[in-house]
Amino acid sequence: MKRVTLRRRTALLSGVAALAAPAVLRAQSDPIKIATLTPLTGAGGPYGPVMAKVAASVVDEVNAAGGVLGRRIQLTSEDDQTNPDAGVRAARKLIDVDKVAAIMGTWASSVTTAVAPLCWESKTFLCTVSGADSITQLPHQGFLVRTQPNSTLQVARSGTFMLSLGAKKIYTMIPQTPFTQTTFDLMGKLVAKAGATHQGLIYDDKKTTYRTEVDQVLRSNPDMIFAAGYTPDTIILLKDLYRAGFKGKIIGFGYAINQKLVDQIGQPEVVEGVYAYSPSPDEGSKAYERVKKATGLANPDPYTCQVYDHVNLVLMAIAQGKAATGVGIKDNIRAVAQGGGTAVDNAVDGLKAIAAGQKVDYSGASGPCDFDDKGDIIDCKFRYDQIKGGKFTLVKIG
Amino acid sequence: MLNYLLFIATIGSIYGLLALSLNLIWGGAGMVNLGLAGFFAVGAYASALATTDAHLPIVAGWILALAAGGLAGLVVTLSTTRLREDYLAIVTLGFAEVVRLVAANEVWLTRGTDGISGIPGPWKALLGSDFNAVYLLIVLTILALVFLLMRRIDRSPYGRVLRAIREDAQVAQVAGKPVLRFKAEAFALSAGIAGLAGALYGHFTSYIAPDLFLPLITVYVFLAVAGGGTGRPAGALIGAYLLMVLLESARFLVELVPVISAVQRAALKELIIAVALILVLRLAPGGLLSERVPAAPRLPMEGKS
Repeated sequence: MKRVTLRRRTALLSGVAALAAPAVLRAQSDPIKIATLTPLTGAGGPYGPVMAKVAASVVDEVNAAGGVLGRRIQLTSEDDQTNPDAGVRAARKLIDVDKVAAIMGTWASSVTTAVAPLCWESKTFLCTVSGADSITQLPHQGFLVRTQPNSTLQVARSGTFMLSLGAKKIYTMIPQTPFTQTTFDLMGKLVAKAGATHQGLIYDDKKTTYRTEVDQVLRSNPDMIFAAGYTPDTIILLKDLYRAGFKGKIIGFGYAINQKLVDQIGQPEVVEGVYAYSPSPDEGSKAYERVKKATGLANPDPYTCQVYDHVNLVLMAIAQGKAATGVGIKDNIRAVAQGGGTAVDNAVDGLKAIAAGQKVDYSGASGPCDFDDKGDIIDCKFRYDQIKGGKFTLVKIG
Repeated sequence: MLNYLLFIATIGSIYGLLALSLNLIWGGAGMVNLGLAGFFAVGAYASALATTDAHLPIVAGWILALAAGGLAGLVVTLSTTRLREDYLAIVTLGFAEVVRLVAANEVWLTRGTDGISGIPGPWKALLGSDFNAVYLLIVLTILALVFLLMRRIDRSPYGRVLRAIREDAQVAQVAGKPVLRFKAEAFALSAGIAGLAGALYGHFTSYIAPDLFLPLITVYVFLAVAGGGTGRPAGALIGAYLLMVLLESARFLVELVPVISAVQRAALKELIIAVALILVLRLAPGGLLSERVPAAPRLPMEGKS
């Protein structure tokens, strides 16, 4: 019996020691703490790890150049498991235990919406790449910005592009998402104005075949299909459209129709001529080149570019406000992101300029990074690609 | 740090309610309910909609959640009266998925995949940073009440009938027990508690969405009950808290490991949790606290002879 008591006590002690460890580290130095909360596992698993990696590379660069305000930067990377419950628990830990000034990179809209109240209530700054319109409409008191264009903007751009390709009968095939209804409403209005017609169908994104859905859509004989799903369901959808002999044009989001989709389908004729569009990273910019180098990827995705910009902006805002707090970042992020001044594309240069008393204006890997009052991105370029012979070829950027 | 511990304790207590709910139906009556996440969702949505759209007081939302969960439980048992074991498990799993899909697709009612944000918390504005502590007290009080009720049931003739049904429903029937009524009542009560847990969760974090109610929650609660001890309320409760301690302390343990990348850390965390659960089930297959079946009361006849 006594042995058991001892064992329990040891277990308890080691548990307490594990919990207390960050406090011990905190006493040794006084670094500035920031965090990424990206999906390292779950549905967002393909994106989150690279995002965490590029954030670490920015922190390493800045630390090598002497840190911010003479303090070292300490980055913590947590996993939101692409799940709001796990995301909230991880955020609570980052806010209350690590006491970070900013959380960056939340990906799924549901995770961002769940984490946002914790952030604004505890005055922690949140940078996100989620697209749902509702996110910036939350009462976030300025503690949130997003670098991803909201779904209204994305859908409007795709509609304009489809019409420019001469589409007369557009059919949208989309799973249930926060932007499904917005997509239908917007496309309906946009397309009607141009004298074309639009119809929509919602499908279940966990199904293994879409033959009935495809049959239903083809009955009305559309000349353009907007396949607005994610990669796994779009793979099945494109195959079923090909089998059904659809001869019109197809367009989808770049995050779904990517090289991985082409490789997994494995038959170039299925995807021949399919269009993909996405918020364009600022290709050719120095910041974009640095993201390429840090990740070792030839075409880093938009989310990775955006997280690179989050870290740079947050660090410069801390220097600008001379305060490593969420409030300091909230009050100063627009001062370093927009409004003219010395043009910079990385935090190391920006921090030097700020130390020299200059006003800076950051443009990063994802674009100019200017925010409106609600935290939405103001200007964003899109790129349109077409698959030819299994390869993505650029149609236009604009 | 304190706020974080309060937060984790509250979530742990809500998992505790779910574990008590599952223990009643699985440990008690032997019915496998894989639809726990569904009842959790029904309660969360009932209370969230009642307090945001209909502006009812929060307590009314909680009572409504209890009732909605119970009603859903009743519907599920009465429509599956002929199913047992694996078949019941499959139907309940299906039920949970149906609830999630309805929540995602009936946008007019549930706001779809956007979820419902801004769910009010009791005296949240007034309490400020003390909210977490007060809410934990509320949840603990409810948990204590439910726990006492469960222990009462466990030791009462009612609990013995449930156990008899678990061991052999036919024998219980022959002994003159209305098996269906017992099953339906127990299932409805269990589902009602899960619904109440959902409501407590929603008003605590202020946001619910269909993504929250994936089968993962059900799996966690099954692990908690299996690890803590099936058939004993205290075991289920301890299992739920241990699970939460395990999930969260793994976070800090992996931070102590140097050089590995963020992804490897996330994978290592999952690995630690899996190994710990395997060890518990290997070393204590009946759970940490195994079921205590009280001796049958002596019949008065025996004493006389």
